[in-house]
Amino acid sequence: MKIIVCVKQVPDTEARIRIAPEGNAIVESDVNWIVSPYDEFAVEEALRIREAKGGEVVLVGLGPERGQAALRSGLAMGADSAVHLKDPLFDAADTAGIARALATAIRALAPFDLVFTGQQGVGGDNSQIPGLLAEMLDLPQVTMAVKVELEEGKALVNREVEGAHEVWETSLPAVVSAQKGLNEPRYASLKGIMAAKKKPIDVKDAAALGLQAADLAPRTKVVALELPPPRPPIRMIEGDADTQVKELLRLLHEEAKVI
Amino acid sequence: MAERDVLETDVLVVGGGPAGLAAAIRFKDLLDEHNKTAQKKVEASVMVVEKAGEFGGHSLSGAVLDPISLRELFPDFKEKGAPVATEVTEDHVYMLTSSGKIPLPIVPPPLQNHGNYVISLNQLVKWLAAQAEARGIDCLAGFPGAEILYEGDRVVGVRTGDKGIDKHGKKKSNFEAGVDLRARVTILAEGARGSLAKQLISRLELDQGKFPQVYSIGVKELWEVPKGRLPKGAVIHTMGYPLDSHTFGGGFIYGFTEERISIGLVVGLDYRDPFLDPHGLFQKLKEHPLVRALLEGGKMVRYGARTISEGGWYSIPRPYADGVLLVGEDAGFLNAMRLKGIHLALKTGMLAAETALEAVVADDTSAAKLKAFEDRVNASYVKRELWKVRNFHQGFKHGLWAGLVHSGLQMFSGGRGLVDPMAPSRGYAEVHKLAEYYGPGASRDRFQRLRADGQLTFDRLTDVYHSGTKHDEDQPTHLHVADPTVCETRCKEEFGNPCEKFCPAAVYEMVPKGDDPKDVRLQINFSNCVHCKTCDVMDPYQIITWVTPEGGGGPRYDDL
Repeated sequence: MKIIVCVKQVPDTEARIRIAPEGNAIVESDVNWIVSPYDEFAVEEALRIREAKGGEVVLVGLGPERGQAALRSGLAMGADSAVHLKDPLFDAADTAGIARALATAIRALAPFDLVFTGQQGVGGDNSQIPGLLAEMLDLPQVTMAVKVELEEGKALVNREVEGAHEVWETSLPAVVSAQKGLNEPRYASLKGIMAAKKKPIDVKDAAALGLQAADLAPRTKVVALELPPPRPPIRMIEGDADTQVKELLRLLHEEAKVI
Repeated sequence: MAERDVLETDVLVVGGGPAGLAAAIRFKDLLDEHNKTAQKKVEASVMVVEKAGEFGGHSLSGAVLDPISLRELFPDFKEKGAPVATEVTEDHVYMLTSSGKIPLPIVPPPLQNHGNYVISLNQLVKWLAAQAEARGIDCLAGFPGAEILYEGDRVVGVRTGDKGIDKHGKKKSNFEAGVDLRARVTILAEGARGSLAKQLISRLELDQGKFPQVYSIGVKELWEVPKGRLPKGAVIHTMGYPLDSHTFGGGFIYGFTEERISIGLVVGLDYRDPFLDPHGLFQKLKEHPLVRALLEGGKMVRYGARTISEGGWYSIPRPYADGVLLVGEDAGFLNAMRLKGIHLALKTGMLAAETALEAVVADDTSAAKLKAFEDRVNASYVKRELWKVRNFHQGFKHGLWAGLVHSGLQMFSGGRGLVDPMAPSRGYAEVHKLAEYYGPGASRDRFQRLRADGQLTFDRLTDVYHSGTKHDEDQPTHLHVADPTVCETRCKEEFGNPCEKFCPAAVYEMVPKGDDPKDVRLQINFSNCVHCKTCDVMDPYQIITWVTPEGGGGPRYDDL
């Protein structure tokens, strides 16, 4: 089996985000970059399938130079090789442009059996790439996968819906997006990290993919970013238990208006 | 069960701080140099393992750097872009009273910093790691040295920590066994109170005939303040308030950039008051008018805490044994009078590298061969510098005033002073019992924690949040208490549970077992741990052992 996994580098979920003076981007120098956690589930699932069925796992990532660290992390977990899409045109693209670049790169890797992505990138949280990829590659897709079983030429995928699981059957190749709960990603082993330094990363720019500026021109743009409002300070209610309960009820009723 | 990987290397460095990285870099440079001229080429590998998820993540210091050894390692460190940019422009020393300050008329020579730099150790270590990587050295972050591998009494490497073990000690589905890293020479560079060095020193009795190591704890915050509060490169040291005259220590305030101030308090871990709370005292320091004026209206951006090896020359164990060398603060190479250790960490790392290469080339890594490290230290400025201050910390045994007299006399007598050698005591043994300190009948309920205002002063949990500390909650605790019933019974009565007070990260908490608030048990919030090791040093019964948690866990000291 040949499995493609899209890997994105995102700000650490613990990072304290600051908005840049222009108001529509974050200050990147403050940020510690990690592999998007959903992409880690995707990489892990691909590796497990490869371990069970044989084959290879190819990572595809798009981003500036620093993004290569995310690909190295995936290689350290055990992926075989990686493609790094790097071009100033990509940095300016919107999700449609990014999906176009990814789809073009993935098409060049055909034949393949599966394309895994995270169900969303932790960062922009647009959740558009899996759907756009399926459309552009003309493949079936199953999103929010929490279990993947492969049979001859098809896959059974459990996807998470509100309070339940749906079981879908899809032909292969297909695009599957990984949800939390799919697996517990492995740690990159010490040997894995050392080996990852020697694994190939194929760097491609827009020209190498045969894409022009017009193919990647953004049709949407971020106009403004806002931080969530600061949490109001915690209020301690003083007094004996009786007074506290009464005061709590009053506050919940009159101020919070939840009861 | 997954098989344990075994990897061989010639030189293994445990701890990717200034000492460890200097050792690795120097080793590689000397090896390349050797192979340029030698008839017989030598192939030798060097590897660095670090418990933090990223190099520099656990590196914390004041910090003022004496560039002497960095310049030896990288004569062109400025051109190479080392983050060493803020030259010290002015020095001040103040004796603080609770609301006033008395400037010392002259800055004592050891505290003169002309030619030194205010730096972020975190940034320097990141840069050193990049230099090491660029030389092709395997620098592996997220891998703690969990135990020493011995053959007899010979050190043959280190086993890294297992990953993927749950809080009940069971293997999770992503269990990854630690790796046996086998090396001809292992260089321990864990920093103050290294968990492997502690075992090694005790097993091989490397401290025989030496004084016990003495520690301090440093608690630090990085602040962003409006421009113009403190000149870039200004260095202020304080004595006195908020410490009483029996407690060793002092404050530091450094102008790191136009808008960033490093501020901290160092407290000797040989204090008497069982309720002493270094974090709380640091908050009090910030409330002093001198400090408040610098910080008010600013924003605290980072927090950290770390023990410091303060004992000096007489407390340094034999820094070599079969197959192993001890460098930097792991051995205790730090000048307590000058408040500096980074330059000695770099230098001892470099001297260890020279020794290790010689040993590898000669194919003899026995203690007899590695003794050359000690000879090199003795012949270098490391000893010259430490010899002059060999009785410094001990001089403060009877308080600040006696200490100042002693250090004055020591300064004029090349370090000898009135008594030489002057023996320190084991710090934890200095803590008085509650009844001794607070009078008969005093109980742990008497302790009152400082109320933080959330602007200038912070509670420990807020500060821990700003240390970026993170541990996977689903793992066994890495703070081993040999017998927790001691905490509930003897310690509660005798000392009032000092662990709750000395820990700057709110790890130790005595919580009621049931309805009776006086019937308490120890709860260990290990995920708060900033890896300072104060508990391992200071618990009065010496029943706490700090071991390495799962790799990658711990603080993230960005820019500290």
